[in-house]
Formats: sequence, structure tokens, C-alpha cells
Amino acid sequence: MNVMMRDRNDIRRSCFSRVPALTLLSLLVLAGCGREQSALNVAGRDAAAISLLFWVMLVGAVLLWLMVNGAFLYVSRFAPGRFDERHGRRLLIGGGIVLPTVVLTALLVWGLSLLPDSRTPGDGLVVRVTGEQWWWRVEYWPEGATEPVVSANEIRLPVGERTEFRLLADKVIHSFWIPALGGKMDMFPGRETTFTLLPDKPGTYRGQCAEFCGASHAWMAFVAVAMEPEEFDAWLQAQAEDAAPPADDAARRGQAVFRDEGCGACHTVRGTDAVGQVGPDLTHIGSRLSLGAGRARVTLDDLATWVAHTDALKPEVRMPSYDLGEDELRDLAHYLKGLR
Amino acid sequence: MRTVLLTLAAVAALGLAGAGAVVTFGLYNVSAQAGHLPGVAWLLHTTFRNAVELRAPAMDKVPPLDDPDLIALGAGHYASACAFCHATPDGARSATARAMEPPPPPIDEAVAHWKPNELFWIVENGVKMTGMPGWPVKGREDEAWAVVAYLETVKADAAPPLPGADAGAAYCRSCHERIAGPVPRLDRLSPDYIEAQLENYRTGVRPSGIMSHAVSLAPPESFADLARELAGASLPDREVAVTGDAAAGRDLAGRGTRDVPACLACHGGEDRKGPLLHGQPEDFLATQIRLWRDGTYHHNRLMVAATRDLEDADISALAAYFASLRAPE
Repeated sequence: MNVMMRDRNDIRRSCFSRVPALTLLSLLVLAGCGREQSALNVAGRDAAAISLLFWVMLVGAVLLWLMVNGAFLYVSRFAPGRFDERHGRRLLIGGGIVLPTVVLTALLVWGLSLLPDSRTPGDGLVVRVTGEQWWWRVEYWPEGATEPVVSANEIRLPVGERTEFRLLADKVIHSFWIPALGGKMDMFPGRETTFTLLPDKPGTYRGQCAEFCGASHAWMAFVAVAMEPEEFDAWLQAQAEDAAPPADDAARRGQAVFRDEGCGACHTVRGTDAVGQVGPDLTHIGSRLSLGAGRARVTLDDLATWVAHTDALKPEVRMPSYDLGEDELRDLAHYLKGLR
Repeated sequence: MRTVLLTLAAVAALGLAGAGAVVTFGLYNVSAQAGHLPGVAWLLHTTFRNAVELRAPAMDKVPPLDDPDLIALGAGHYASACAFCHATPDGARSATARAMEPPPPPIDEAVAHWKPNELFWIVENGVKMTGMPGWPVKGREDEAWAVVAYLETVKADAAPPLPGADAGAAYCRSCHERIAGPVPRLDRLSPDYIEAQLENYRTGVRPSGIMSHAVSLAPPESFADLARELAGASLPDREVAVTGDAAAGRDLAGRGTRDVPACLACHGGEDRKGPLLHGQPEDFLATQIRLWRDGTYHHNRLMVAATRDLEDADISALAAYFASLRAPE
């Protein structure tokens, strides 16, 4: 008996000693759920449905947990004696078969009923996104457009309108996910998937590739911006323009570096002879909110560092690092920053 | 039983000691003048012949060998690198070459009993313990085939005359200004680019058996002058009839695809990063692009990245397009 007691105490102690560590760990993990990339920070109709489902399931799960453990505690500690068989049978059938069947069926029906919402047709704007290793090729097709407005690594959407996404992948499977706006959708090479999103709160959010896609999967992110419709239209119109010509001498020198180094073999800057299609379109790179698909910021320093050390910033990325002088890098960064 | 084992062990020990003594005290006479012991020459030669037959590639791997430019390139390399031992088809071997053991056979005899695939294997691999060297670099089968193309003409008794023994820039010109096909023209390249390539061939960074032999004949200090002289030549545009799809090549070179960068961004003019490819021979271009794509060349990261997704059809289209271009004004 003594031995048994000691064992039980040891177990209890060791369990309790883990509680602070677990709490700390979960706090660290939760710290990753910043506001920009959190399914709990709801900013769209589709995210709201998912969020509601999540909370209902969570509350329900907690209730069930309390009920099961309460029953267990009652039976093991407080029950006066043996149950009579009639009572026990009723409890088993009621609590073990009928209740779970009813609750789970209700949850399933409700969960399935949310699915068609994400297939609601869009209101007109279609955004085609292709997952590349490791960036996003983006085309905006406003209703009736015959050619797209090409961009990359940034998604902008009008608030209060349902935008349709048509998703593809280049070589491997990726997954497109803006947690604050809705659920995720996988992207496959050679098979188009579609879904729609309806943001209802203007703001800047973060999207992330949610399917392991190679060495730099973790660095495959993007900024998602929900804007008021008029603001969005103005932005899209500006994006459709050709690139701004270099504004000063440094930018002109930078443009010469861009040309001489052959950057145009892979990148397009509309309105210049840079027409490559391998990498992201850079026509308006200066106005974007992130560089290298969420890897860095669009600042002079980050632009220069990126060009000189692509592989260090993004392992196995296809763009080679360029061994340029400090002046050339600065001029090039200046030129790119000016492509607004 | 025990006696048998002990005897065997004693014999083995004696044998080992004898072999050790031969090696340690230099008892075997390695004199080429003394020649082989009776039977050894037969043993070695038979092994050689059977090994080549076993290892030569299949006959259907033999590329077309009747292109005069390919034959001329093979002839040029033969004259410079092989003729010292095997003599010219109508000349005699030097007394020195004849004194080798085994003596290298004169070329008409050497090629007589081999099929082209077997000649290729011998040129590519060389033969151990005969003095026949292997190809100086790996991965340049295209060059070994050029030599085989020439050897086939020797076998058919239709060999073109070999170029004379020029030196310096005249030696370079004996191929680069006379032969098209697999040989690039140098007048459209910049002196800096030519000099860098001479250095690349010398160090083996850019693998080529023919060019590494050729540059080994010139002192590195002379590279800059050579490059200036060769780049300064002004040759007329050749009339070219290309075989690939030059129109498809123009689209690919100009726009690229989502996998292939646009070539002209670097190769579009004299002020660009890459060398000017306009009017280079189609065969030469196709071979070079293939060497980049297949990983034989890897001395430039941009070219490795640019070529890795090219299909064979893309390569012939690009080669046809650049071959059909005139020099930019």
C-alpha cells in the first residue's frame, strides 16, 4: 500500500511539474499567431465561418471533456456504491452512443454546409495565381479584361466583393492560404483549382504556402491587402501602367546595371526591353510591400542584399547571387525602388 | 594433410619473396630496346583488342561522320597532337616514334581493322601501357568523334591534306578561319573574352581536348596578344543555310519562357554581359548549349541556370537562330 501511494504521488508530482513548461511552450507557439497571419483575426466572410466553426467545436470539446472527466471523477471518488445494472446500461447507451451520434452528426452536417460557401461564384474580378518555387505569379483579370494586369508576390482585393481565385502550380504542389481571409486551397501542376474570398475588413494580412514545396517552402509567403473598392480600382489602374522611367542619375545608372547584367532575361519591366518570364514581374516592384515573396522589405538595403545574396536568403532559389560592386548594387536598388 | 598445407605455404612464401625481390631490386628489365619476353607482346595485344571490342559503344551510337568541317577539325587536331607518333597518312614515322615499345603503328595500319565505334573508344580512352593517351578531358565525346571522322577518311584512302605546322595566331587561324561547323569564328568576339577562354582552356575550367592541346602550344603570356590579333580580324558574313527552326529560336531567344531566360538579354549586343553569338556556326552553337545543359560546362552560374530546362528541339532552334544572324551594325 505504501509503495502504491508513493508511486501515485510521484506520478502526480511529475505531471504537475510539466504544467509550467507546457504552458510556456504553448505561449511560444501562440506567439506565432500574430495578427497578420492568424485565422483568429477574422477579416473576411469565409474566415468568419471557419472561425465560428472553430469556436463552437472548441467550446463543445471542452464541455465534453468536462462531462467525461466529471463522470469519471464521480464514479471513482464519490459514487456511493455499485450502480444497479438498469441505470448503468441507460448511462452507457445514452452517453456513449446516442449523445456522440447526435453531436457529431450535427457538427458534420454544419461543417459540410459551410463548404459550398467557398464555391460561391465571384463578383467579377478573377485573380490567377501560379505557385512557383518559391514565389507567386499573380494575374488580375477584371471582368471583361482581354489581358491581365501582371504582378507577383502580393494579393490585393476589394473589400465587400467576392473575388474568384484560379490556382495553378508550376512544378510541385503548393497551397494558397490567407488565414485572416479564409481557408486554404491546394495548387497543382496541370490542374486548376478555384475558390473565392470575400474580405470585409480593410487591412494588411499575410499569406503563406501551406504545402511543403521544397527547400524554401517556409520563405514562400506574400502580403495580402484588402482595400476599399475605389482604392483598389485606382491601385489596379496604376499597376497596369508601364514602368516609370528612372527619375535621377543613380536610377539611370541602376537601369544600366539591370540591362548589362542581363536581369531582363528572367524579369519583365514593362515599357523596357526586359521581357523575361522566368522570375517575378518587376514593373512595379518599388510599390510592393515585400521582397522575395515575403522574405524581406522593399528598402534600398534589402534590395541590395537580396541581389547579392539570394541563395543565402532563400536556399536553392533559382535566381543566382550577383557579384556586383557596392556602388552598382546601390544604384540597382535605387532603380528598382523607383519602379513604383 | 598437414604436410601438404605446410608445403603449399612454403611455396607461396617463396613465390612472394621472389616477386618482392624482382620489384625491390629492379630485376625485371624495363628496357624498351630489349623488347618484351616471348609471348608477352601477344598477350598484351590480344587483351587490348578484346577489351576494345567489349567496351566500344554500339554501332548505332555512331553520329554522322561525313561532314567536311568535322573531318577538317579532326584532321587539324590529328596533325597537331597525333601525327608525331602515328605519322601523316603519306609520311613516315620519326625514328624516335618507331623506337617506342610497342611502336605506334603508322596511321593507315592503325585504323585498318577497327570499326568507327571502336576507333572512338580508343581515341576517347587511350590504351594503358602502350603510350596511347586518353582524351585530355572528360565529357567531350563530340571532339573525339571529329578525330574518328578524320580517321575514317584515312581508312577510305580519301584523307584531306593536313594543315602545315603554323605557330601563334596563324595556327589558330588554320582552324578558326578555315573551318565552320564545329569551330567558332573569333572575329566577332572581344579580345577580353577570347583571352579569358584561352585561360579557361589552359586551366581546364572549360573542358576541351582539342583546345587544351592547342593552348598548351602557346605560352600564357602570349594569350593577350593572340586574343587581340584574332579578335581584330574582319571576316565576311558567311552565307548560311540553317537546318533548325530559326523562327522558333527567335521567339525563345527574345522572350524566353517561364523556364528559359531570354538569351538576348545577355547575348543581344556587343555591350552586353555575354559574348556575341551572331553568325556563329549552327553545329558549334548547338554543341556548346548542349554542353552547358548536360553539365559538362559549369563555369558560369548564369549559363547553367539558363540552359537547364532546354529541350533538344529548343537547342537546335536557338542554334539555327543565332547562326542565321548577321553581326549587329
